[in-house]
Amino acid sequence: MSEKAFSDATKISDTTKEAIVTMDGVYKRFKDFEALKNINFKVGKQEVVVVIGPSGSGKSTLIRCINRLEQHDAGTIVVDGTVLSNDLRNIQEIRKETGMVFQSFNLFPHLTVLDNVAIGPRRVRNLAKSEAEEIALKLLERVKIPEQAGKFPAQLSGGQQQRVAIARALAMKPKVMLFDEPTSALDPEMINEVLDAIKELANEGMTMVVVTHEMGFAREVADRVVFMADGEIVEVGTPEELFDSPREERTKKFLSQIL
Amino acid sequence: MRPWLKQNLFRSYLDGVLTVVSAAIAIWIVVQIFTFVFITGRWEIVQVNIKLLLIGRFPEEHIGLLLASVMAIAFWIGVTGGAFVKPGAPKRSVLEIARELFQRFGLIALLGIAIVYLAGTGEALVAGLQIVVAIVAGRLLSALRTRVKLLSAIPSLLWIFVWGLAPTSLIWYTLSVSTLETWGGFLINFYIAVLSIVLCFPLGVLLALGRRSSLPVIRLLATTYIEIVRGAPLFVLLLLAGVALEFFIPPEITPDVIFRSVTVFTLFTAAYLAEIIRGGLQSIPKGQTEAGKAIGLSTVRIIGLITLPQALRNVIPAQIGQFISLFKDTTLAGAALSMFEILSIGKAITKQDDFLGQGLIYESLAFVGLMFWVGSFVMSRESQRLEKKLGVGIR
Repeated sequence: MSEKAFSDATKISDTTKEAIVTMDGVYKRFKDFEALKNINFKVGKQEVVVVIGPSGSGKSTLIRCINRLEQHDAGTIVVDGTVLSNDLRNIQEIRKETGMVFQSFNLFPHLTVLDNVAIGPRRVRNLAKSEAEEIALKLLERVKIPEQAGKFPAQLSGGQQQRVAIARALAMKPKVMLFDEPTSALDPEMINEVLDAIKELANEGMTMVVVTHEMGFAREVADRVVFMADGEIVEVGTPEELFDSPREERTKKFLSQIL
Repeated sequence: MRPWLKQNLFRSYLDGVLTVVSAAIAIWIVVQIFTFVFITGRWEIVQVNIKLLLIGRFPEEHIGLLLASVMAIAFWIGVTGGAFVKPGAPKRSVLEIARELFQRFGLIALLGIAIVYLAGTGEALVAGLQIVVAIVAGRLLSALRTRVKLLSAIPSLLWIFVWGLAPTSLIWYTLSVSTLETWGGFLINFYIAVLSIVLCFPLGVLLALGRRSSLPVIRLLATTYIEIVRGAPLFVLLLLAGVALEFFIPPEITPDVIFRSVTVFTLFTAAYLAEIIRGGLQSIPKGQTEAGKAIGLSTVRIIGLITLPQALRNVIPAQIGQFISLFKDTTLAGAALSMFEILSIGKAITKQDDFLGQGLIYESLAFVGLMFWVGSFVMSRESQRLEKKLGVGIR
């Protein structure tokens, strides 16, 4: 192996398991700004990958490329055997397999909490209303807010809203969950309730890619931590490797700034 | 009482002077209006011509059909009023309901009673009662919907649309059997307004979506249409419709004036509505679309279930404003297409032998103005209620 082996993000932690997300030579450019440069990245089944890095490093762009909220310019992305192309059916297929949780929740303000969660099963998987609502209610129980089902998002606290958003993503029974800074917009006292919900998911074996600034959470939950800077994957390792003995200068500098 | 007066009306000498002066002006205006309405006003010009003002020279034998279509509209209004009521709303006492109904529709009811009184016939009274019954029946039908499981699965907008088809087709039928020269009065204003509102709404939504489309051809077509129509004065378009519609329509179908004006009002208002709705769509954060995409919703469903409902709700005041403006602009059609709508009749009756040269134009115009004011005011109030109900501004 070359000396750059520690920045190889294609080695999944449990090699007996197959990859569910594969990015191969992915580039993404916004006008003059290169957001992603030659990204090679794999996520194994049931693996939890945490992506860290300074702002503007391309973390969000990376996971937004996986479900085509951003269109990559070059390279290939494969999600659960489906190659992401311009074909709308492929895109829909991949979006059904991936759930996403946003920094600013993005709940639908005109729908009740229950309808927010039920809309996916009902309108994408075309289940009957009662069936969809049953699924939704179960998921609300799972994120511990079944009593809020009839309220509107604006009546909930930030932490509760983000848990509804997690339930909404889970309602599609995704194979991969993508978290885009799920706690960055929350008041400090609400961060833990959301992180706990995510941890619980991880313990149940959900495959996840999490972009976050919560280093304690990363250390506790991640199978692998990916450090990104300037649109590149700089270093990859287990939480211990990356946090305790970082090898790259940029990683050391970033960690010294935040820890 | 005295501290309140001092605090709010007479805090300084200047305040005191202003209070006295404005009170004097206000009292003077009220007295003037009161004298005009109850003492000097010669309302017999309206009384004699009430039928002419309301329905023109509509043929007697078709009045039953006319009443039926007015009732269908009333029924539809009732259906719409009840369409957004959620089951499980708190029960209220009869007194509370009565008070709310009076606040909402008292003005229209008073106008209706005044008209029936002016008409002074038993037929008018029966017709008025029939219309009230139709509204109540529509409202009850919508109430039933929330209780029957099969019906409650129908989305509110579809429900309203389906029941809107009945009055629309009845109006067309009435139009086809009665010769159009005989149509007139407020009836024309009302029908043109209702038809145009019903027709321009879907067109406006389509134009708004077209202007935001990712397909350049559609975007160009929608933008061109909107900019051209918005750039032309309504009166010019109405005058043009009087002569130019023949270019687009085969000569065998000589379109009547009502068809012409409904076409113009629909096309004209749709362009304005499109821009209002587009503004609403722009106010929806990008995250909403992204969240819809992330779940796997198709583009059509993202628009239909997520962005458009929020956008339409956000622009209710501007939309209703446009509809009110359309309602009042129907008087322009009278001048442009020499149609006997209420304003033209209002002016014409002052030249009748009995009233000629007696300066009764004030009474006549006051009545015409009152008809439009009551209609517009109720529309405006109802839209405010709808806004509150849908929770605009408390997100």
